[in-house]
Amino acid sequence: MQIALINGSPKYKNSASEVILEDLEECLKKNPNIKVTHFSFLKPQIDQKDIKSLFSCNCWVFAFPLYVDGIPSHLLNCMIQLEKYIGAHPNVPKTIHVYGISNSGFHEGKQNIIAIEILKNWCIKSGLIWGQGLGVGAGGMLAGLKKVPLGHGPKKNLGKAFEPFVSNIVHRKSEEIIVTSANFPRLAYKIAAEFGWRKQIKANGLKRKDIFRKCN
Amino acid sequence: MKLLIHDLKSDVFQSAFPSLPEDTKITSNESTIHHCIGCFGCWVKTPSKCSIRDKYGNMGEYLSKCNELIIVSNCRYGGFSPFVKSVLDRSISYVHPYFRFINGEMHHKRRYDNKINLHVHFYGEITEDEKNTANKLVKANSINLDLDSYDVSFYKVTKEMEGIILCK
Repeated sequence: MQIALINGSPKYKNSASEVILEDLEECLKKNPNIKVTHFSFLKPQIDQKDIKSLFSCNCWVFAFPLYVDGIPSHLLNCMIQLEKYIGAHPNVPKTIHVYGISNSGFHEGKQNIIAIEILKNWCIKSGLIWGQGLGVGAGGMLAGLKKVPLGHGPKKNLGKAFEPFVSNIVHRKSEEIIVTSANFPRLAYKIAAEFGWRKQIKANGLKRKDIFRKCN
Repeated sequence: MKLLIHDLKSDVFQSAFPSLPEDTKITSNESTIHHCIGCFGCWVKTPSKCSIRDKYGNMGEYLSKCNELIIVSNCRYGGFSPFVKSVLDRSISYVHPYFRFINGEMHHKRRYDNKINLHVHFYGEITEDEKNTANKLVKANSINLDLDSYDVSFYKVTKEMEGIILCK
C-alpha cells in the first residue's frame, strides 16, 4: 500500500508537522507492505507532477499547523486545486482514504477539531473517503523534540494516540477524531512558550518591552 | 471604524453594496496577497506588524482601530475563502503572543483594548455540515480574538446579499 505523507506547513524546515510525519513514518514502516511518499505543500499551488504522484497513492495523510482556528490559507488553495482536478478528471481513483493531523500552539488538542472538520468537509466534497483526524495540542514544543522517541517523555500521549490512528491508516478504516496533548503541564508550557518569545525578541535586537508594542 | 474584509469581484461588490458608511475601511482582493509563512515576525521581529510588507501587512493595526468587523466570504468546506483566510492568517499581530486561560482553554492575550463586534456573511452552495462547521469556526474566532459579539449569515448566491445591512 502506498501512503502519501503531506506536510502542509508553510515552513521549509523545523516545523511541528515535519516531526509528526517523521514519527508517523516510523510507525507505518513497521508494516512491510507500506510504502511512503513525501509531499510538501509549501506554496498555494501544487506541481502537476506531484498531483499525478498523489493519485498513485492509496491514502493521503495531511499534517498541518492550526492557523486562526482553521487550515492555513496556502494549504486551502492546494485543497481547492485538488478538488478541481478531481472534478476535471473523472477517472482518478475515488477510493483514496484521507487522514488529517492538525497541531496547534495551544495546549489543548481539541482546539484543532474545527480545522479537521474543514478537511473532512473538503474530502467529502471532493468525493474521497474520509478516514480520521488527529488533533495535537502543544505543537509549539514538538519541533524541539525531534530526538525524543515517540511514546516517551512529552511525546508519551502522542505515541498512545498514534496506535489507533496508525492502525486505522494501515487498515484504511474510518473512525472518529482523536485529540491529544503533550505530557507537559499546561502552566509550565505557558511559561516556557513566553520565555521563548522573549528570547526570540532579544535575538532580533529588540527589548523585552517591545513585545507589547502597539500600532496606535 | 468599520473594517470590511471581502472576496467579491468589484462589480459584484458594487451592485451588492453601492453605499457604505463613511468610516468603513475596505480590505479586498485587489492585489496579490502573500500567505502567512508562520515566521511569527509580527510578534518577535516587527511586533504588531506583519513582517511581509505587501498591501496586507497592517491588518493588526486596522483591527485595533475598528469596532465592527464585517467579513463577506465564499464558504469553503465550512471555512473562509483562501483570500479571506490569508487576510485573517496575516492578522495575528492583533493579539499578543502570551497566553491566558478562558473557560479552561488556552488562548492569546489581548494587545489592544478595543471592542469588536464580528459579522460574517458566507455565500455559496453550502451543505448543512459546512454550515455547522462555519458556525463553530466563527465562534472560535470570536473567542480567540476576544471579540464582544458575533453573528453568522448564509446566502446561496451573492445576489441575495443585495440590500442587506452588513452590521446588524
